[in-house]
Amino acid sequence: MKIKNRYLLLCSIVLSILFTSCVKDVDFDQVEDVVLTPVLELDFIYSRFDTDQFIEPGIDSSIIIPEVAINDTLNYDLLGTDFVVDNLEQVELTFEFSNTIERDFTFSFGFLNDVGVRIGPSYTIIANAGMGPGTEPIITNEIIILDNATINVLSEATKLVSSIRVFNINSGLEGVLELKSKGTYFINYDL
Amino acid sequence: MRAILFLCISLWSFSFFCQNKEVLYDFTDLPQSLMLNPGAEINFKFHTGVPFLSQIHINAGLRGASIYDIFADDGRDINEKIEITLNNLTSNDYLTVTQQLELVNFGWRSKRNDRIYFSGGIYQELDAIGYFPKDFAVLAYQGNQDFLNQPFRFSDVSGSGELLMVYHFGYNKRVNKKLTFGARAKLYSSLLHIRSARNKGVFTTIETPQGSNFYQHVISNADVTIRTSGIQSLREIEGETTSEEVKEAVNKLIGRALLGGNLGVGLDIGFTHKIDDQLSVTGSVNDLGLIYYTKDVETYRAQGNYVFEGFETPIQFSGEEAQDFLDELEEAIPLDTLSNSYIVARPLKINGSFKYSFNPDDGSCNCFLEGERLRYLDAVGIQLFSQFRPKRPQYAASLFYHKKWLSFLRTKFTYTIDDYSFYNFGFLLSTHIDKINFYISANNLLEYTNLAKARGASLQFGFNVIM
Repeated sequence: MKIKNRYLLLCSIVLSILFTSCVKDVDFDQVEDVVLTPVLELDFIYSRFDTDQFIEPGIDSSIIIPEVAINDTLNYDLLGTDFVVDNLEQVELTFEFSNTIERDFTFSFGFLNDVGVRIGPSYTIIANAGMGPGTEPIITNEIIILDNATINVLSEATKLVSSIRVFNINSGLEGVLELKSKGTYFINYDL
Repeated sequence: MRAILFLCISLWSFSFFCQNKEVLYDFTDLPQSLMLNPGAEINFKFHTGVPFLSQIHINAGLRGASIYDIFADDGRDINEKIEITLNNLTSNDYLTVTQQLELVNFGWRSKRNDRIYFSGGIYQELDAIGYFPKDFAVLAYQGNQDFLNQPFRFSDVSGSGELLMVYHFGYNKRVNKKLTFGARAKLYSSLLHIRSARNKGVFTTIETPQGSNFYQHVISNADVTIRTSGIQSLREIEGETTSEEVKEAVNKLIGRALLGGNLGVGLDIGFTHKIDDQLSVTGSVNDLGLIYYTKDVETYRAQGNYVFEGFETPIQFSGEEAQDFLDELEEAIPLDTLSNSYIVARPLKINGSFKYSFNPDDGSCNCFLEGERLRYLDAVGIQLFSQFRPKRPQYAASLFYHKKWLSFLRTKFTYTIDDYSFYNFGFLLSTHIDKINFYISANNLLEYTNLAKARGASLQFGFNVIM
């Protein structure tokens, strides 16, 4: 009998230890407050132009061509996923032109949906004229911000259209225009 | 982005592990000590575990952080706490869970030779480990802006998980007065298995002032493999919620448990060597074996190199098709789904101990069960444990004190240093009333009042009939 009493006592001590063990001073509801705010840097578009891409080098340099444009269309649907639409707060597009050609260039871009209709705003940047071959290139920087409302409009985009224009050129012009750009994506993801 | 996040969270949360049972090891009053060292020096004539109740073992370990570090109810913003924890954790930190349930356990002393003891049984085991995928957690949580020119390593993605049944039969022989030797053959039947290890490659955003664009985003030498078995056929059933479908899934799992899964073989070996009456050395190697996965196997593998520096536009029409970023990526690093068989070694475990017994019984303490020969009431010693894991072995060292109080009551205390903590105190209590034995053991007792702060905790208990 004595042994059994001891046994009961032991069991109750063990059980009471088991039941007093617990997880406390924690609040698992905080998980609802978790927000992921990564900032991602991703290259956007780039290009490089020599003057001979706008005008044949052999043409008499006294002939002035009033306007030359290069237009391009590209498949582009990076803004179309549900995750982007729901969680992308802002995109900063940073452009850098470096120019040694003695002309201003007009760069513009915009987006098309899958039936080829333009959606959202069009953006235009003027790249300042350079000072000729062999000189330090003239740098033009521009930042374009796409806010959440614009991103929502652009979620239908499947194509990127871009163009570069230059006015009053002749075959005597020399130099290079370089375009670099990147997107900084600010994500705000609530778990 | 979502995929990365999912990968991080799933690896971090489903990942499980460590099987150190330092309190149970060489506790020869219990037949379960034979499962850790088949060469343990036991004195039973016969034992049987109470079916499904002879051993219930749960072990969870978290190296590098505790639940409290993130979920403490202290008024601080959880995002701030996550960031601090994220910075403290390394890719060598991990989360593990092991759970075992003995269904049957029995043993008897040979009638022909009383130096030989046979034992066998069946147990179910769930064992998993997930390393913290630090680099990709950082990418998901902070992005690449602050980590330009720094590689994000795919080798950070590493983990494994398995649910299996083990059928075993062991042989224990007292070779002479000094040496006891034992071995246990095991047949594994794996129900579910997933593993991703030894991945290679890096993702880097490199600044390129002289290049075509601001950066180059480079995936170099990527080689990422996830092996699964037993999961594909269940996934086909998943989504169907009719009772028929659920029954089919359950039947499938039961079939696999009854040797219908992916099979493997293994061996435990161990010994006890008594240097003299009071000093003894033990050692064992467990789960020296492998499983051959041939059924319901699906392996996902992505390999390749890719460089992205933006879209080249506007350009004059070159006659080439327009670029498509995602198509190009898929072409450069194709994701293959294979169904090749594969072999994985079981996580090998090694135990060793050195014990000094003292305080001989002068006859006044009724502390021994029938058939027991050693007459010391106390013992102290040291134990070492190691387990092989996908990235590197894990180690633990323990000091122990074993005390026989009365014939029906024995205890063992341990102090363990392991990957999780330097303050791991364990306790085992074993009682024998008539022929019924009940035992319970737990470690990390200091943390027991608030498991949220614990880095690891282990609990096992069970009932046996011992003669």
